[in-house]
Amino acid sequence: MRAAAQALLVLLVFVLACGTAKRGEPHFAPVPVSEPAIAAGEVVYHAYCQKCHPGGEAGLGPAINNKPAPGMAMRLQIRQGLGSMPAFKKNTISEEEMDHLIAYLKVLRKAKKPATTSN
Amino acid sequence: MQIRFHRCLLLLLSPALLLSCYRLSPSSGGGQGATSSNTRIIQPTDIALPAGYRIEAIASGLTFPTSVTTDEQGQVHVLEAGYSYGEVWLPPRLLRIGPAGETTTIATGDKNGPWNGVTFYNGNFYVAEGGELEGGKILRISPDGSLSTLVDNLPSRGDHHTNSPVIGPDGYLYFGQGTATNAAIAGPDNYHYGWLKRYPDFHDIPCADIVLKGQNFESDNPLTEAASDKASTGAYVPFGTATTAGQVVQGQLPCSGAIMRLPVTGGPLELVAWGLRNPYGLAFAQNGTLFVTDNSYDSRGSRPVWGTGDYLWAIEPGRWYGWPDFAGGKPFNGKRFEKPGDKAPAPLLAHHPNQPPAPAATLGVHSSSNGFDFCRNASFGFGGQAFVAQFGDMAPDVGKVMAPVGYKIVRVDVNTGVMSDFAVNKGKKNGPASKLGNGGLERPIAAKFSPDGQALYVVDFGIMKMTKQGPEPQQNTGVVWKITRTAQP
Repeated sequence: MRAAAQALLVLLVFVLACGTAKRGEPHFAPVPVSEPAIAAGEVVYHAYCQKCHPGGEAGLGPAINNKPAPGMAMRLQIRQGLGSMPAFKKNTISEEEMDHLIAYLKVLRKAKKPATTSN
Repeated sequence: MQIRFHRCLLLLLSPALLLSCYRLSPSSGGGQGATSSNTRIIQPTDIALPAGYRIEAIASGLTFPTSVTTDEQGQVHVLEAGYSYGEVWLPPRLLRIGPAGETTTIATGDKNGPWNGVTFYNGNFYVAEGGELEGGKILRISPDGSLSTLVDNLPSRGDHHTNSPVIGPDGYLYFGQGTATNAAIAGPDNYHYGWLKRYPDFHDIPCADIVLKGQNFESDNPLTEAASDKASTGAYVPFGTATTAGQVVQGQLPCSGAIMRLPVTGGPLELVAWGLRNPYGLAFAQNGTLFVTDNSYDSRGSRPVWGTGDYLWAIEPGRWYGWPDFAGGKPFNGKRFEKPGDKAPAPLLAHHPNQPPAPAATLGVHSSSNGFDFCRNASFGFGGQAFVAQFGDMAPDVGKVMAPVGYKIVRVDVNTGVMSDFAVNKGKKNGPASKLGNGGLERPIAAKFSPDGQALYVVDFGIMKMTKQGPEPQQNTGVVWKITRTAQP
């Protein structure tokens, strides 16, 4: 039973990974950052995460927009690092900044509403 | 209970574990692998822009274009570099673009490219001559095509060149000067670039006296025929020259990795800032602050540095920005910048001139964020933001990437460091048009607003493939795009 659940999760991940990791403008509607905490998270993201995951897409590192990781797992990975990804301790990203960052990551992941693009 | 927690944790992390095996995965850069075509298809509808903007190609068939400017009549002019990575040598040219996309040659340079930037000021063009063969120069070109040299012998015979002249509010001409090497150590990677064979004594030059820690790096010696021959090389010295702790290297002007300036009418060279790596793009913000895009370290050579983004710096006169011992204001004092499977870079300098500041923005690792401009006309939208052209990765030569990085125009709020894509190819994945099989952007290298701020010109270098032999740039594939706003929100 457990093996079946794990296989299902892996399958789900691969299915989700087949979709585009692009989010926000200009492909979709802008990422909604009207809430101050999310706007603050966006700044943290661009200071520490954007360089390896541009816009949440793959780059030096893998895409993160199309991964269904819950907030707890994201927090753990950011704090502890994983593989080649370095750890970001509290003296780099404070607890409050981490809360904002996780909130932003969740909003970014969902920012796939249709938008009219030019051309 | 603890076992259950760990199982649960493993389950939660398994997606990341499966999909983030950086070490195991091959590099997937935008220039790598099969491309759909060596010829350029141009299809503006393959480029996504925010609603209310339009893009069109105003010139095509260019060979290695790098920069654009307009004269007092508003006529658009473009530079062709002449030299490209991949050791392709052609005559650099300044071309005028006509209304139907036809080009007229205004001036042709010597075999000393790449011409890496042009600006028009008070009736003349000012060009940065990259100087891969004879050293860098700043040239003045009159509208009738006659050339004169404002400064020469700039240290440009290495990996990076003389870049992007701009005229400051003070009437001085400012330009960027790149470093000879990736991280201050000459090595086999520079032989691969081509210059170490031509100039085995060439090396980086500090702008002020520095004291070395005496680190030396052993490497293969490509300058001799014996395959087993090794060389030991220190910082800021020729390949094969070892250094000692406490050794002083005297500062000079001109120097490597710096912003310098001189009167636009000619005169003595002055240092503005240093400790940069390859300050490629320069632009003044509306408040008069000079901003610079800096191509950061590669994961290559005798001293690879891993995981550093390209930086957008606000320049403070007299400041040192951290090369070769810091990245983005962070010191090399741990494993943060260690190339997986290699040794972490340690400081080369015994003393640092100052603590480097934090960058205004951190752009994608290996994005090659280059020419940029500030939006000065609010009616274009995104007033005050920097529009940055990202040439795109040159993986695997610069290091491994898991997906193509760059190949687009991003807009940056320099007050927060937040950025968004502005012009980028459509499709599920990111990459140059030749890889995606469409007619969109290939390798944007410069973005420049028209004098009235109504149009953003984008210089697209064209197709550059990355093969086992190195870069393979394709002639006659360069384009100049024009982006305008067609509707207000």
